[in-house]
Amino acid sequence: MSQTQIRFSGSGGQGLILSARILAAALAARGKFVAQSQAYEPTSRGGLSRSDLVVSDREADYPLVTSLDCVVILDQVAVAASEGLLRPDTVTITDAARVSAPPREPKRVFALPITGKARDIGNIRVANIVALGALAELAGIIDPDSLRETMLDLVPPRFRDLNAEAFDAGREMATRLENA
Amino acid sequence: MSNPTNIQGNAAAAAGAIAAGCRFYAGYPITPSSEIAEQMAARLPKAGGTFIQMEDELGSMAAAVGASLGGVKAMTATSGPGFSLKQENLGYAAMTETPCVIVNVMRGGPSTGLPTRPAQADIMQARWGTHGDHPVIVLAPHTVREIYEETIRAFNLAEALRVPVVVLYDETIGHLVETVTLKEPEEIITRKWAEGPREDYLPYAADEDMIPAFPRPGDGYRTHTTGLTHDERGFPTQDPEKVTAFMERLLGKLETHRDLIEKNELVETEDADVLIVAIGTPARAAKSAIRELRGEGIRAGLFRPVTLWPFPEEALKAAAKGKRAVLVPEMNAGQMILEVERVLAGAAPVRGLNVFNGEPVTPAQIATAVKELAK
Amino acid sequence: MNEITVTSADAFDIRDWLRLDLMPHFMCPGCGHGIALRALLWACHELGIKKDKLAIVSGIGCSGRTGAYIDANTFHTTHGRPLAFATGLKLARPDLTVIVISGDGDSLAIGGNHMIHACRRNLDMTLMLLNNEVYGMTGGQVSPTTSAERFTTTTPAGNVEPVFDACKLAEGAGATFVGREATLQTPALKDLLKAAISHKGFSVAEVISDCTEIFGRKNAMGNSAEMVLRQKHTMIPERAQDDRVPEPFKPNPFPTGVFVDQQRPEYGELYEQVRKRARETGK
Repeated sequence: MSQTQIRFSGSGGQGLILSARILAAALAARGKFVAQSQAYEPTSRGGLSRSDLVVSDREADYPLVTSLDCVVILDQVAVAASEGLLRPDTVTITDAARVSAPPREPKRVFALPITGKARDIGNIRVANIVALGALAELAGIIDPDSLRETMLDLVPPRFRDLNAEAFDAGREMATRLENA
Repeated sequence: MSNPTNIQGNAAAAAGAIAAGCRFYAGYPITPSSEIAEQMAARLPKAGGTFIQMEDELGSMAAAVGASLGGVKAMTATSGPGFSLKQENLGYAAMTETPCVIVNVMRGGPSTGLPTRPAQADIMQARWGTHGDHPVIVLAPHTVREIYEETIRAFNLAEALRVPVVVLYDETIGHLVETVTLKEPEEIITRKWAEGPREDYLPYAADEDMIPAFPRPGDGYRTHTTGLTHDERGFPTQDPEKVTAFMERLLGKLETHRDLIEKNELVETEDADVLIVAIGTPARAAKSAIRELRGEGIRAGLFRPVTLWPFPEEALKAAAKGKRAVLVPEMNAGQMILEVERVLAGAAPVRGLNVFNGEPVTPAQIATAVKELAK
Repeated sequence: MNEITVTSADAFDIRDWLRLDLMPHFMCPGCGHGIALRALLWACHELGIKKDKLAIVSGIGCSGRTGAYIDANTFHTTHGRPLAFATGLKLARPDLTVIVISGDGDSLAIGGNHMIHACRRNLDMTLMLLNNEVYGMTGGQVSPTTSAERFTTTTPAGNVEPVFDACKLAEGAGATFVGREATLQTPALKDLLKAAISHKGFSVAEVISDCTEIFGRKNAMGNSAEMVLRQKHTMIPERAQDDRVPEPFKPNPFPTGVFVDQQRPEYGELYEQVRKRARETGK
């Protein structure tokens, strides 16, 4: 059965689980079957945090990731945990400022100034949405516009504009780097 | 909720319970099952039911049974340490033939163990945890969709057979979020109520179906319910003949309704050389492994009990017939394998794949083990 | 909610309230629990309670076994847990009058936690706590209410553990009706039980009862009549100083009467508000 395996990872408090949830909702709305799992350390801030998605055309056999097609790493603390699951062709997106030693397996690593851009936009807490925009552009698993729509439905109304800007910035960043 | 929806395993258990007509929940917080209590706390009052967080696990099992004694479908949920505490009152439900559903989301043990990590080490406890010869049904869903469906089935079985039913799954599936279309139940079963004149009614007498009609308090039957071994009137007895009659019916009633209770899934077992017997997350790993193995020309199949207890002896024997070997992957140090070995009685070599470090069993581990056996 | 009405003093015939085909009962000659059972049923009679709507939930022990004799919806549950079973039953069936019969060990030792929280919650039920200061059914072991220096099978040299005051515990845990009477004063006990059952909220009625055959015998307390009369000595605090009561058998003096009679929101009604809120706000 064809499957896509995606991981969002970083440190606790970076909003990665929300990003995964948004992506999962968008995929389910388009008829895909998603299995989402997560792990985090007891501390609510800092410490390793990750959320995984296994996307299939029907109910997944094994719902946990075994070989990642795409990974987002927003903090160095999350690199080691994913090493064993990466392939040379894994689409790897990292935060340029917070991941100084990216994983070695993937042939190409998209190191993007994700948290920097979030700060520029006005709130570091939308880094997870910037990352989501970048992933939409690079992973090729969902039409970025429909993901954007789902995302706007799921964020608090008063932050919609901020998140829209973050998402678009992430897409743009990824497009530029891809074409570079 | 919109259909299809992304829903967590534990939330699916709560949704299934409400869909099945559960209107009472008593529980106590314990990782990794607390989401069930939280969901029920939010949903039950909306449905006109009652949620209560009791002072401890024993109290919540007791309150659930108490509500059911009043005629209301009731549930509780817990994990290892709480499951241990609930055993006495679970046995009370079995003895008094009071329908109820107990969800156990298995975590690493023993004792406090690994509260946030999966395990399957309560398999034997689910069958034998409470003292004495007692009837109990245990269902083992392996996906979020199946948690929803099997929780509904748990209520139906509990009501039809007047027995406690345990819904047993590991933490991985409990916390997993999957895309599910929550369907309305095809059938909702409610217990047979006592009818007719009081003089003609015996609370623990039954005809061929071996299930007594349930006296709803207030309907005028004024019966006695006790955990002491009792006669057909419900009063304590030590008369060996009456005790035998009672115990034979209590223990025999599940066998009489085996067709209603038993449920298995067979995946590519017919031509398999190696038969995998698994439940829960290892069963899902097996499904993935079988695809890979078959692609390499190794014929593996999966026998997956959905109703774990009573154990599907005949069905397993049939599935294992002619197989070169049987593999039992489980997240414990070897529990279901004891049943498999007992049932197959040497008909085929049986090997265990035991993972009990808090990690889930992976397809790669199963594939490796099968290749060893297929040599 | 409950069909309780106070009637005039129609003649009370206990046989109307008993499962006569279970006679003779199991209780020892002189057991105080029999008196308590009569007082309870007398109270139910005077209150006009309908037997079909009466639920008796009992625990384990001699106290718990009395429930089986009552011609009502009776539930003999597990040790220490009748209050928890009763909580579920009453919440599922607020239309029933729920009375819990439990002993000193059942409600204060193994069942202590459920006792505390039942008092705190204030669900409309009544606990009749039969206190005979011993675990009689199992042969006479010490209990949390065993008086100082008493001999039991697990205190062969005399009890040195402090004594639990069940009424103070109930009051401290928030029960809105708390009272105590002794089996000696049967009409007063009946009135206490009437008040407890009629009270809307969680009521605790402690009954000072006697275990004549096991506890009394082991402590040379005389026959059942003498044990009941002993209650008279111990009920009035100043009499506990009476020189005519030989040492070391001066039991702890205990007051009788109603100690707490308050109104506070009843749990079933509070939860009905939760249901309303849930339906209205969708939360």
